[in-house]
Amino acid sequence: MKLIILQSNLKNGLETVGRATADNNNLPILKNILIKTYNNKIKLSATNLELAVTNLISGKIIEEGGITVPFSVLSGIVNNCDSDKINLEVKNNVLNFKTDNYEANIQGLDEEDFPIIPKIENDKNFLSINFDIFKEALLKVLPAIQISDIRPEISGLLFDFQLTNFKLVGTDSFRLAEKTILEKDFKTNFPRGFKSIIPLKTIQEVVRVVNKEDLNIYIDPNQILFKNDELEIISRLIDGYYPDYEAIIPKELDSECSLNRELFSNAVKLVSNFTGKVNDIKIRTKEGKKTVEIYSANQYFGENNYLIPTKIKGDDFEISYNWRYLLEGLKNFNSEELIFSVNGDAKPTLIKSAGDSSYFYLLMPIKS
Amino acid sequence: MDPNQLWQSALSEIELQVSKPNFVTWLKNSRLIERQDGVALVSLPNNFAKEWVENKYNKIILAAIRNLDETTKKIEFVVESQQNSLTKLRSRAQVKKVFLDQQSFSEWRVDPQTNLNPRYSLSSFVVGSSNELAYAAAQGVIKDVGKKYNPLFIYGGVGLGKTHLMQGLGNEIKNLYDNKIKVKYVSSEAFTSEVVAGMRNKRMEDIKEKYRLIDVLIIDDIQFIEGKEKTEEEFFHTFNALYENNKQIIISSDRPPHFLPTLQERLRSRFEGGMISKLDQPDFELRMAVLKTKLQDKESSLPDNIISLIATKVQKNFRELEGVLNRILFYQNTKNTDITLKSAEEIINEATQQPIKNINPNQVIKGVADHFEISIADLISPSRKKNLVEPRQIAIYLLRDILDLSYPSIGEKLGNRDHTTAIYAFSKLSKEIIKNQVLNHQILTIKDKILKV
Repeated sequence: MKLIILQSNLKNGLETVGRATADNNNLPILKNILIKTYNNKIKLSATNLELAVTNLISGKIIEEGGITVPFSVLSGIVNNCDSDKINLEVKNNVLNFKTDNYEANIQGLDEEDFPIIPKIENDKNFLSINFDIFKEALLKVLPAIQISDIRPEISGLLFDFQLTNFKLVGTDSFRLAEKTILEKDFKTNFPRGFKSIIPLKTIQEVVRVVNKEDLNIYIDPNQILFKNDELEIISRLIDGYYPDYEAIIPKELDSECSLNRELFSNAVKLVSNFTGKVNDIKIRTKEGKKTVEIYSANQYFGENNYLIPTKIKGDDFEISYNWRYLLEGLKNFNSEELIFSVNGDAKPTLIKSAGDSSYFYLLMPIKS
Repeated sequence: MDPNQLWQSALSEIELQVSKPNFVTWLKNSRLIERQDGVALVSLPNNFAKEWVENKYNKIILAAIRNLDETTKKIEFVVESQQNSLTKLRSRAQVKKVFLDQQSFSEWRVDPQTNLNPRYSLSSFVVGSSNELAYAAAQGVIKDVGKKYNPLFIYGGVGLGKTHLMQGLGNEIKNLYDNKIKVKYVSSEAFTSEVVAGMRNKRMEDIKEKYRLIDVLIIDDIQFIEGKEKTEEEFFHTFNALYENNKQIIISSDRPPHFLPTLQERLRSRFEGGMISKLDQPDFELRMAVLKTKLQDKESSLPDNIISLIATKVQKNFRELEGVLNRILFYQNTKNTDITLKSAEEIINEATQQPIKNINPNQVIKGVADHFEISIADLISPSRKKNLVEPRQIAIYLLRDILDLSYPSIGEKLGNRDHTTAIYAFSKLSKEIIKNQVLNHQILTIKDKILKV
């Protein structure tokens, strides 16, 4: 293999695939990335056997071929290299890296030993979506997901495709976020609906590395593939049944109030300064249902409260929340008015936006 | 040769030919699923392993297997999910405590695979004369899953322990057979919404597939699918598919099958073909026993006279019983004093109080008369025929029980009888309803009717 490549191209390419490398004592080659010529492009791949990222970058190919080299060494060199053009040449599993005034020989491993990146079985059916829309939706749901050893099935994003819309759901069993994407925002030729659980790490990589507008999503029973012209991210899916989350969405609510989002978030941030280890703040109705008070107290610091004018429908309430969870939820809304609905202190509280029904955030209170 | 043994021997040969790290990375957790017509089907844990093994080790594996079994011509590879390791992981990690007081979605404590809530167990199911038959049937099912009582149909009113019995039964089977028998618990509402979602997403086959892989299907509150045609049909087919394969089916309802009027005949007759058992209203002794068990669970105690007061006063169902018990314990904890008989009675009255309606004595008398299909005139007449005496005593009991009328005025309302007659009737019935289930039930029914008017 013999190539000439722009430093910036190589750098971007390495950044894209780099996080998919892994430390594996049994298989040290997972620390390496694969560099290979492919259809007049240069293909960079990395995998940790759960997820594989492949990126095509352009460069001048003088001689076809491939090699794998340790990612950390190569990226260290490329990031600090001050020349525009880089010459790469492979001889006997050694990668010769050469610029005008720098030369390195990196000991590599044969490309034949690199894991074969699986393909998706069903490459006929896919869903294509504008990535900006998809990313925005993902970012609203991701904060609620947490890796859990106890419950592997919720350590990922639920991708619930229902032909005319699809839902993205994330939860850590204390809170839950659901975003619905409607038909107008995507195209698909999937004949039937499906439900898949995508590992959190995969989704984080998708959000981090996709940089083009179009994204196609392919799926088979064990794998999912995110793809555009240059990039392919293939990942296993989490095996298991996602809990029946629809059962916990409250259907009837004791009381409801509408709150200005900015006022509300500021209030939470402000009042949170007096919370203790539990991170608890109290939200309660005041003054004949015309005001909501946000309150926190701490035996060492003191106490504070913030009043927000509102209209309250239904019963009076006084409920404690973990303010971090609350604030993380509030951040995901864009609209001015939020509807905050409660069902006592042992059932989830529902937060949604006044005008937009495509997103909601459910939060369990703290025991009072 | 058994596929497992064959695969183990083949693996030990393959191990010699590939490097140790490669062997551990790619062939760990592999399994020979079956051999058929010269094709051996090997499962691997993920797609990476499948690609690698398929491309690099196909020949080695084929040679190793052919050494042991000449008939194999070809190897095929599939990716198999690792449900088991997931379940193991879960049961190991369950001990970990959720931090602090942050509450989690309580509905999710159920096992997602079986839908069973581990809270229910058969050992916590208190058996008395009103539910011993159903309990015995459940035990029969556990011993002989799918054969002895199939389908098992359990019916009874609200809060009498149907769900507890069925979930406990499911958990017992699951634990006893070490997850080898696949149990699935669904409420009929969840089943319906699954059918609806399946139709919308054109995924009915998946639902069919899913349910037909189950060994024990438990459906709660079947009366709710009544009248939903598509769901009934889907259920019917699932039912048949399972039944024909000797899979156990357990169903509950609030009524016996022949009282589910709009349920299709073919379904009803199938329900009636198995074992039908009823959960009755608990008698006094059972209520006492349940209260004592609950107290033990909650690690608290109450004096015996209070327990027996609760058991006497709260008769309808276990849920109400637990509710009252919780209130009394809460009272005791917050006030930090032992509860007296009087305050206990107040709490019970408050808790079991029916929504107050303007009921006058005449409505009570009319209600009793209507129930026994006699005229009011007969009821208050001086006649002492047996068919009139009993209703009259019940009327006296109810006038006192519902309206708390004084004995003289009760006597006056019922044909100017002496107040001692009223006292005698009331105390006689009060004693008798503890012993006589039929009478107790009858009185509750009349009371319900009167209060509902």
